[in-house]
Amino acid sequence: MELADRVVGFLLSFISLSIFTYYTFWVIILPFVDTDHFIHQYFLPQEYAIIIPVFAGVVLLCFLCIFIGFVILKSKKKKA
Amino acid sequence: MKHVVKILTLLVAITALWFGLLQTSVIPRSHTWLLPIYFIVSLGCYGLLMVGIGLMYFPTCPQEALLLQQDIKEAKEYLERKGIDVSE
Repeated sequence: MELADRVVGFLLSFISLSIFTYYTFWVIILPFVDTDHFIHQYFLPQEYAIIIPVFAGVVLLCFLCIFIGFVILKSKKKKA
Repeated sequence: MKHVVKILTLLVAITALWFGLLQTSVIPRSHTWLLPIYFIVSLGCYGLLMVGIGLMYFPTCPQEALLLQQDIKEAKEYLERKGIDVSE
């Protein structure tokens, strides 16, 4: 049981660290690199660095609202 | 009430700092515009990291688990003797 927990925890922290380093590179370091360096082909164009987090935030907000509405509807149906 | 005030003052301070950075332009302009989103993303990442680390190093107490099972068994026998229904 604790092995599964530990694997999930390790996966979570690995994902979060990789996202953090990728995003740091994208936003802070890349604008200072010359445009014909080879590293630029590993990163999407810079506009996506703004669009993707905003889109993810909006999706999360929608999911939260839908979930809350779902729970409220279910409790009201159970009471009636 | 006080906790909300603390959080709000922190947010106002960060906004003021960001605005000041915009005005004095110590950092190149394009970086200053991206800073708020960068901080939000890094905050989310930090939360996820803390959850992952907590999951990894969660302390399990096998002796206490055993004692707890024994306590549950004793309580069940006691209640059955008194006539209360404890079937699961």
